[in-house]
Amino acid sequence: MIEFGPANLRVPRWTRPVYMVAAGTTDFRKRYPERKLEELCMMAFRMLLEENDLKLDPLEVKGHINFAVYGEFADHFQDQLLCEAKVHDYLGLDPLPNVGVKTGGATGGSAMLVGANTIASGYSDCTLVLGWERMDEVKTWTGNYYIATAACKDFETRLARNYASYYAPMARRFQEMYGVDERLRAEIAVKNRGYACCSPFAQQPGRHTIEEVLQGEIVSDPLRFLECCAMSVGSSAALLCSEELAFRLSDKPARLFIAGGSHTLRTGDRRPMRIPLLPHETEEGYRWLYQEMRKQDGRWPGFESFGASRFAAYMVYRMADIQVPIEALDLVETHDAFTISDLQTYGDVGLALYGQEQEYVRSGDCYLKNPHTGAPGRCPANLSGGLLGTMHAVGATGIFQCGEVLWQLQGKYDTFHGDPESWRRYGKTKPVDWESLQVKNPRRGLAVSHAGVGSHVTCAILEKA
Amino acid sequence: MPTTTTPAGGIPRIAASRIDVVGESWILRVPRFGDEGAHFHTYGLLTPYFQGLREGRLRATCCLNPGCPVSHGAGELWLPPRADCPDCHQPMSWKEIEDPRGYVYTYTYVERGGTGLELPCPYYQIDVKIEGVCTIVKSYLSGPGPVRIGDKVKACFRTGKDATHTCLDLFWVKDSGGA
Repeated sequence: MIEFGPANLRVPRWTRPVYMVAAGTTDFRKRYPERKLEELCMMAFRMLLEENDLKLDPLEVKGHINFAVYGEFADHFQDQLLCEAKVHDYLGLDPLPNVGVKTGGATGGSAMLVGANTIASGYSDCTLVLGWERMDEVKTWTGNYYIATAACKDFETRLARNYASYYAPMARRFQEMYGVDERLRAEIAVKNRGYACCSPFAQQPGRHTIEEVLQGEIVSDPLRFLECCAMSVGSSAALLCSEELAFRLSDKPARLFIAGGSHTLRTGDRRPMRIPLLPHETEEGYRWLYQEMRKQDGRWPGFESFGASRFAAYMVYRMADIQVPIEALDLVETHDAFTISDLQTYGDVGLALYGQEQEYVRSGDCYLKNPHTGAPGRCPANLSGGLLGTMHAVGATGIFQCGEVLWQLQGKYDTFHGDPESWRRYGKTKPVDWESLQVKNPRRGLAVSHAGVGSHVTCAILEKA
Repeated sequence: MPTTTTPAGGIPRIAASRIDVVGESWILRVPRFGDEGAHFHTYGLLTPYFQGLREGRLRATCCLNPGCPVSHGAGELWLPPRADCPDCHQPMSWKEIEDPRGYVYTYTYVERGGTGLELPCPYYQIDVKIEGVCTIVKSYLSGPGPVRIGDKVKACFRTGKDATHTCLDLFWVKDSGGA
C-alpha cells in the first residue's frame, strides 16, 4: 500500500499565469524520406510563427523567445545524441538556452510541463516547446523491439519485444473485471480513425466498421491491428507566454494549466492503494467498487487503471478550479495508443466514475455528435484523430494534442483542417466528404499525455482566456 | 567539369555505404556492429535471483526492518525482487519461495513479437499472482491453452545447460493440483 504524506498532495502553485498562443505541426507519415528530422522541425516551427494570426511578424515573435524545451522519446530511434542542439541551431535559436525532455510516450506532455514552469517561474516570457520523432530509420519489428525497451529490460522486454503485449493483459483484465464487450473497444478505433479522415495531418485515417476491426489480425490477444497506433514520423510545436506577452501576440490566447504523475515501469509492481478522489468524487461513491475488487481479488489501480493519470488529473483540476470534469470540459484528447488506454482514461480523469468507463463510451458523450441522440456529445474525444488515426511521433504527441485543443478553443478547426491548401501541401486532396469537427464555442479542453503502461502522465487544461 | 584531386599514394579504401533512392532523397544504410555492438549488462545485487533460477529456485526479497513504515519488519515478498526497500531504503532480505504456485491474474496470447524475440510465437504471456507476494510477476506459460484468468499455475525453470541466464528461465505450467 502506498500512503501519501500530507505534503505529497500539495497542489502546485505557479507564481504567474501561463498562456499558449500558437501551435504548429507537420503532417505524419510512417516513413518520411523527403525530409530530414530538423527539416520537419522547421516545418512545425514555421507554421507556429506564420499561421496563427499572431499580431507581430514571424521574426519579431521569434525575437521574444527566451527558452526552448524539446521533446524526443528515444535516442536509439533518432540514432543521434544531442538532437536538441542540432534542432535548436537549425531553427536559428542559438545561443538561447534549451533543455531536452524525455518521459516515454508522455514526452510531449512533460515538455509542455517544463515549458509552462519556465513561464510560471518568470525565467522566461516566451518559451518554444517543440517535439519530434523519427521512427522510420529501422524496420517496423525492430522499432517494436526498441519501444519494448520501455518495458523492464531485466524482467519484461524478453517476454514480447512488442509493446501491444504489455497493454493486452490490461485490456484482458479490464474486460473481465468490468464485463466489457469487445465491440466497445472496436467502436473507439472506428471513431478516432474516422475523425482522422478530416485531418490533413493524419497518418492512418479510415472509415472502418466495428466488424472490420474485430475481424482484423490480432497483434496480442485481445488487441487487433486497428486497435493499435503505428510507427510515426513528424514534429509539433507550441508557443507559451506570460500574460502580458500573450495578449500582445494574440487576440485568442488560452490559459494553460498542467500537472504530472508517475507510477512504476512494471504494471505488476503497482501495490494497491486508495483512489485519490477528484473534487466531485466521494469515498461512498466507490464503496461498491472496493467491494467488487475484493470479490475479484482486484486492486486499484491494478491492471485496470492508471495511477499516474489519476494523480495528474487530481492536481490539474485543483490548479484550474475544476469541480465536475464532464461539466467543465468541452473536449478531450486522450492518449489512445491502444483502444484500451482510451477506455481506461475516462475513469482516471473523472469523465466517468471508475467502473463506468464502458457506459460512458456507450452514452455517446465522447462523440462530437452523439450517435444515439444526434445532439452534441458532452465532451468529444480525439477529434484530432488521436494516436490511432493521426499520429504518434512520440516526442511530438503531447504537444500536438495541445495544439489541436488550442485551435478548437480559438474556433480554428476549419482553418487548419478544412483549407484545401492544407491538404495540398502534404500531397493530399481534401476529401469530398470532409466535415468540420469544430466544437461549438468550447471553453476548456483537456489533453492527456501518457507513457509506457502508465509510467508518466501529464494532464493539461487549456482554457479560453 | 568538376575535377578531383587524388593525393599522392591514393586514398584509403573505404567500402561504399549502400543507398536507397526514394523520390529525390538518398537514404543511407547504416549497419550496426554485430558482436562488437554488444552491451554488457550487470544484474548487480539481483544476481542471486538469476543464479537461483538456474538451480530451479525462486528467490524473492522482503523488508525485515522493524522501522519500515510499511513492512514494520515483516514485509511481503517482492517478485521481481529488489535489493533495497522503496519504503525505508534499507537492504531487503532474500527468501526462497518453496514449491511456487499461483494463479493467472491476467494474460495475453502473443501472436507476434519484435525483433530478437527468443520465445517461439504464439505463446501465452501471463501475469501471476502468488500468495504472500505484494507484486504480480510477468512471465510465460509452457504448454497449450486455453488460459483463463484464475487458472492455477506452478513454476518451472530452465536449469543447468538449458538456462538462458535471463528472466526466461522462469516459466509456468498449468497446475492440476496436488503437491
